[in-house]
Amino acid sequence: MHIFPENISTYGQEIDNLFWLVLVFVVIALVISLFVLIYPLVNNHYTKVKKATYFTGENKKHFRWISIALVLLGMSDFVILLAEHNTWEEIENIPAKVDVRIGITGRQWNWIFTYPGPDGKLNTGDDLVVDEQNSELHVPVNKNIILELRSRDVLHSFFVVNTRLKQDVIPGRMNTRWFNLTKEGKYDISCAEICGVLHAKMRNFLVVESQDKYEQYLKTLYEKNTANP
Amino acid sequence: MEHHTHQLNFWQKYFFSTDHKTIGAQYTIVGLMMAAIGGFLAYVFRYNLAFPGENIPLYGSLSAQQYNSFITCHGMIMVFWVAMPILLAGFGNFLIPTMIGTDDMAFPVLNMMSFWIFLLSAIVLVASFFVPGGAFGGGWTMYPPLSANGYLNTEPDFLTAFFSGSSLMLVAVALEFIAMLMGGINFLVTTINKRAKGLTPFKMPLVIWFINLASVIFMFSVGPLVAGAVMLLFDITLGTGFYDPARGGDPILFQHLFWFFGHPEVYVLLLPSLGVLAEIIPVFARKPLFAYRTIIYLALFSAVISVVVWAHHQFIAGIDPRMATFFSIGTIIISIPFAGIFLSFMATLWGGSIRLAVPMMWALGFIALFLIGGLTGLFLGSNAFDIYAHDTYFVVAHFHYTLFPDIFFGFFAAFYYWFPKFTGKNLNETLGKVHFWLTFVFFNCTFFLLFFNGLGGQHRRINDYSAFSNVMQEPYILFEKISTISAILLILTQFIFLYNFFSSLAKGKKADKNLWSANTLEWIADSPPPHGNFKEFPVVYRGPYDYSLPGIEEDFIPQNVPVSEKEKLNRV
Amino acid sequence: MDKNKKELLPINAVPQGRLSMWLLISGELVIFGGLICCYLLYRLRYPIWAEQAAHTSTFFGALNTVVLLSSSFTVVKAHEAALKKQLNKITMWMSLSILGGLLFLINKSIEYTHEIEHGFTFSSPHLQESGNYVGSLFWSFYYTMTGLHGVHVLVGMIIMFVIMMQARKGKNLHRVELAGMYWHMVDLIWIFLFPLLYIAK
Repeated sequence: MHIFPENISTYGQEIDNLFWLVLVFVVIALVISLFVLIYPLVNNHYTKVKKATYFTGENKKHFRWISIALVLLGMSDFVILLAEHNTWEEIENIPAKVDVRIGITGRQWNWIFTYPGPDGKLNTGDDLVVDEQNSELHVPVNKNIILELRSRDVLHSFFVVNTRLKQDVIPGRMNTRWFNLTKEGKYDISCAEICGVLHAKMRNFLVVESQDKYEQYLKTLYEKNTANP
Repeated sequence: MEHHTHQLNFWQKYFFSTDHKTIGAQYTIVGLMMAAIGGFLAYVFRYNLAFPGENIPLYGSLSAQQYNSFITCHGMIMVFWVAMPILLAGFGNFLIPTMIGTDDMAFPVLNMMSFWIFLLSAIVLVASFFVPGGAFGGGWTMYPPLSANGYLNTEPDFLTAFFSGSSLMLVAVALEFIAMLMGGINFLVTTINKRAKGLTPFKMPLVIWFINLASVIFMFSVGPLVAGAVMLLFDITLGTGFYDPARGGDPILFQHLFWFFGHPEVYVLLLPSLGVLAEIIPVFARKPLFAYRTIIYLALFSAVISVVVWAHHQFIAGIDPRMATFFSIGTIIISIPFAGIFLSFMATLWGGSIRLAVPMMWALGFIALFLIGGLTGLFLGSNAFDIYAHDTYFVVAHFHYTLFPDIFFGFFAAFYYWFPKFTGKNLNETLGKVHFWLTFVFFNCTFFLLFFNGLGGQHRRINDYSAFSNVMQEPYILFEKISTISAILLILTQFIFLYNFFSSLAKGKKADKNLWSANTLEWIADSPPPHGNFKEFPVVYRGPYDYSLPGIEEDFIPQNVPVSEKEKLNRV
Repeated sequence: MDKNKKELLPINAVPQGRLSMWLLISGELVIFGGLICCYLLYRLRYPIWAEQAAHTSTFFGALNTVVLLSSSFTVVKAHEAALKKQLNKITMWMSLSILGGLLFLINKSIEYTHEIEHGFTFSSPHLQESGNYVGSLFWSFYYTMTGLHGVHVLVGMIIMFVIMMQARKGKNLHRVELAGMYWHMVDLIWIFLFPLLYIAK
């Protein structure tokens, strides 16, 4: 059994690794704490004869074990923070090299995809727009793809499990995220923020394909658009 | 001392009573009734998730709209109408006057009024199920624009808008806040002003500290949300645009207001239960609470930090990445004092003389489960992993592992511990143990597997996963079924508690005055304490945790026993 | 019993009423603080609110400030009289304070009437129709903040009236001070609202 679904983005592995790293700390902490919790339960049963040992834990000497544990916890927290910081920066900051720019807009209840038209620029008059339920988002493989995320009505959240990317879309704002996908195939796009009655039906597809096929797709899209404007 | 001895009639005694114990019982009973509603909602939507499209026994078929309403109201009810009345108002009313050795609250009539406002709020919330369109179904966080206009695409008139699910839910929450604010003021004034002679702050039981601290955190974090809720209510009913981006507003503002309250609220709920643990563990380990003063300082510290962690709920909402780092650090810092508190509780056990009575089992179960809940928080606190895990079942499992022990294990620990005191009847020990073990096992079966569903990318608040291939595969479908069946068993287990409650109330054996041999003041009073609690007001000479003092015959010394010369020598 | 209670119960008694009033006031201040913070955030984002703020009447605002401040003064005098147990003076000063509240509300309603006549309401439809949504947001804030404050003025007046009726019979004189504290809070909030909504143009 796989813990995570298949990863197809360049940074997805880092997120998965982060999980395993944190898991190591969590398991160690859990084992130690459960030992501390259960050991006295097994060994110190109540007897009328023997009284409990009296100590209040008020002085530093008594408290030192807890101080050590807290320092260790703080240090492992710090390690986790350092480890995740680079991944966070990598995902949040848009890379300098931009290959494709695609607009994604959430609405009740599907995702709208906007590709640059013949002029190669997004947000101009000749953009190619796909606004259908169950439609496909086509992207080329192994390219830096910049996503301009918007919403038309309420909050949504763009989520493709296999890319590990999730980003809320907020009406009135544009959030920019990116990914670089390494494997061709067809994946689900879902909405991860409740957006009304048919939230569960908000599903589109992500199609990762070669550069040629992608260009071919844009061409057919353009022809379809010019045929019935 | 004499109290009003004139005969109270039935209504005065059980409904319009100003006695803190009756009001505490009223809060607890209403809280438990709301828990039954919340549990039933959980049963319905869990059943729908495991067996999609099938007819749900005792309910029928569940539409997508109803599913959304049910998950929303389940969250709302469990936090605001179960946890708040039971943990804060219930514990506070029962424990504060008895443990500080006084006759009643500072303002008994205000206390009664808070309860009735609270009851009104519960009625408004339940009524919202029956308005056209049903109860609000946009998540318990009520994020606009969905809550402001998501369901009503037409321009509604004022009345239609006011009697919509979202607006009624806001009204109910606002009333609940007012009730809890009034209750909180009452708690603080009572604790500051009405303590028994000699009961200095550092001689108070920890639960009194923590309930008051929770009230303070509540008072200082809820204000902005009250303002925010009023603005949202105007957005719904009067056509203003505070949160409407098309009209210059900003939906993110509400998220900030909500979580500025919402995260401290977690500690408001946690602290009273921790206080209960701090009372139970020393009694059953026959040892002083480890590092009593340090725990208080840690709690005060975390109360301060609790107001600067809120944005970790918004890591993927598109907030500034540097801001996210700041809140990430805050989140990590606040884990340290709470770890310190839990470790101190565990340290209390070492070298103790432990009786595994029913309340102790609940207390230890609380710690064991909360460890998992707290530690899985580490995953979510690291913001890069949160990008993936946010709004998945990993989060659902995580906060159920924190809130379920907090609310129910905390409540049951307190219930089994103080029931004999406040009713004068003993509970059935065996049934209590069966109740504990079944709850413990079924709780884990319900929620542990959901961690894996979350890691598999199953996102929340979906009534029908048929469109999502990553969820519609084994073992996730199986896990959903196991979780649902365990949840049903978990709910059925609670009937043992109900049976134990009613049968013990009717024909339980008479309880001793101080059956657990505890030190705090409530055990000096009769069981059940009469109106006015104490025959004469106790005078306090010592802290609450003097157990197993060396050289003393008994292994406990109640707080109202003067310090002897012999003891002074031994203490050094 | 009462004597016994006094000796044994409170170990460091702050007068109960005063303590709870302080707690209530701090709770209220957080609510208004939240609202004012929201207002400031938007205000910094939208400098064009200045042109909407120009429609508010600084004259009425200033007049109301004076009215509220002087009614705060009279409430202090009432407290002074209560300390000296001069029942007639309490009644006089407190009715003056209530009168101040009443004047404030009358002024406010004249002001509201003016503004509503010019189409500035909670949602200001004429601004929204002309596309000036941001402008209409100013008025939403204006009505929410002054409205919530107005409710507090009204509540304060009712409290003062009830306490005055008790005090003139010599009952519960210490409550005069509590009413005064509440009234000062209402006053204080106005001191914040006035420059924010009227002056900063």
